[in-house]
Amino acid sequence: MTRRMTQTWLHVALIALAVPTLLPFVFVLNNSVRSSSEMLHGYFGAPRAARAAAVCAWRALTGAPGASTIITDAKESRALSHAAACRWHLRALARNHRDAWRILRPYMLNTFWVVACVAAGVFVLGTAAAFVLSRFPFPGRKVVFYYFISTMMFPSVLMLVPSFLLVKQLGLLNSYSALIIPMVAGGQVFAVFVFKSFFDGLSQDLFDAAKIDGAGLFSLYWHLLLPLSQPVIAVVMIMNILGTWNSFLWPFIVNTDSKYHIVASGLYIMSASESASNPGVLFAAYIITSIPLLALFACATRPFMQGMTSGAFKA
Amino acid sequence: MNTNARTARLVLRARRALACYAVLLVPLALLAVFVYLPVVWAFSKSLFEFEIGGESTFIGLSNYIEFLAADPTTYVGLVNMLIFTGAAVAIRLTVPLIVAKLIVSLQGERWRHVYRVVFLLPVVVSGVAVLLIWSGLIYSQNGLLNEFLRVCGMERWCRTWLGDPSTAMAAVIFIGFPWVGGFEVLIYYAGLSAIPDSVNEAAALEGCTGLRKFLLIDVPMVISQLKLMLVLTIIAGIQGFQNLLIITRGGPGYATFVPGLQMYYNAFSYQRFGYACAIGVILFLLIFGLTVINMKYFKSSEELQAAA
Repeated sequence: MTRRMTQTWLHVALIALAVPTLLPFVFVLNNSVRSSSEMLHGYFGAPRAARAAAVCAWRALTGAPGASTIITDAKESRALSHAAACRWHLRALARNHRDAWRILRPYMLNTFWVVACVAAGVFVLGTAAAFVLSRFPFPGRKVVFYYFISTMMFPSVLMLVPSFLLVKQLGLLNSYSALIIPMVAGGQVFAVFVFKSFFDGLSQDLFDAAKIDGAGLFSLYWHLLLPLSQPVIAVVMIMNILGTWNSFLWPFIVNTDSKYHIVASGLYIMSASESASNPGVLFAAYIITSIPLLALFACATRPFMQGMTSGAFKA
Repeated sequence: MNTNARTARLVLRARRALACYAVLLVPLALLAVFVYLPVVWAFSKSLFEFEIGGESTFIGLSNYIEFLAADPTTYVGLVNMLIFTGAAVAIRLTVPLIVAKLIVSLQGERWRHVYRVVFLLPVVVSGVAVLLIWSGLIYSQNGLLNEFLRVCGMERWCRTWLGDPSTAMAAVIFIGFPWVGGFEVLIYYAGLSAIPDSVNEAAALEGCTGLRKFLLIDVPMVISQLKLMLVLTIIAGIQGFQNLLIITRGGPGYATFVPGLQMYYNAFSYQRFGYACAIGVILFLLIFGLTVINMKYFKSSEELQAAA
């Protein structure tokens, strides 16, 4: 077999795997712009509003005579100019998204707030603790490090129920703190572990040179350590953001008040209440909740790929 | 003079140590309260029978005995857990590795990057959304799977896949098919692309190519990634119940019931927090034991290389 043919077969195989991987999301996207009456006839088919909009646009462009008829929500038919009818159909296309956004907006805002607080907490505590543990010999350093990494052996299944009891005892149920504080406490461990092993690999000469130049503790941290560690920090922060964004069980248990739902628990609640009447809104909700992470990856694919392939993640 | 200098040095060291501990104070306190305290509670409260706000009675090891010997759902749950975990291990140790191998074999960094991004793309969709997509769009009565069967004229195979006791478990396992969208591909890719050129060239010279090269050279070279994935998958399999809570709630009947759900229901539906803690402790001990065995008996690729 020639090398060229092998390459072709590799592409064929990869595309054959990529298509079923992405296909469900294509269906979600397509059905999120279809109305519930269309979906009664199944999940296949192009959205009616898109077809109608295309027809109206074509008529408007070719300057066809007459008017386009639309059916309003109140089942009345109205005659509009072609361009206006096209705009009307395009608005109808986004109706599910508008409805979904109305429900999701508080959840999304909650999630942004929680994700930002957890990420900020993990970043500050993780880098500072790893910096101290990696660069300063002080009595008890080893013990403190083991105190940190020993927590990794406690799985979430062990912690779930007693953590709930603790948060309840502290009177934190139904609050942002119930999410943020435990997530920072747990999330900083992985950060410290990865950061410390990275900081350990940095040359001590740099730090000595900076100290001779009169750099203080904070200056070493801010002007030397952080810039040097950008890729590893990027990876850990992305993993952390992803984890918080996707966390379902803990928010679902501690915050039963819908005021404090984040997207994962919110989507679940939504699916239980909304889907029976209109799956389109639910599909639109899946799309909307994916956009922030899509944006995150669009901005950070390269550093993330570099960090992931640099070998930070192996046993 | 000498003593003065020594005292000054001691004071300096003490001050530096104090500064270090001042930085570490918040992280350490958070760990103490939100990690170590719950761990201690998990063990201590598992010896009690109590409801929130009610009396708590010390009952020794009764919760553990109930779980192991009396609770009729324990055995069903453990068997299901084994099946789910076994399937997850079989899937996550093979398919993503093969995809990673396909990507590494491509010529041109641009294509390799494109496919890595394509297979990473699904992670932007929230896990809950993925589960709801599978249960609502694919497995439901009018879902894609049934539609597809109708189109193919196999109408009699149609069913609510997650609601039928005979198919619920297989349907859960098949969620995410073909199981390649995610971080696993990237992790294996990292391992495969770290294989030194000299090894690949030597293999090519020896005429070791294709499947033989994959099995004899690539797989041993990524053993440490495989090992990591094995450990993570087993841990996730033992304690995972979140996905099942979302799509089947353990049903129909007990078809997809697992010990994690047993813990969840005992705590948050039946208010039996002591018993739930005991189940958590037992699952922890299971995970802990397997992790120790893994660390002791499975060698990483570095160790294999050192031994060779």
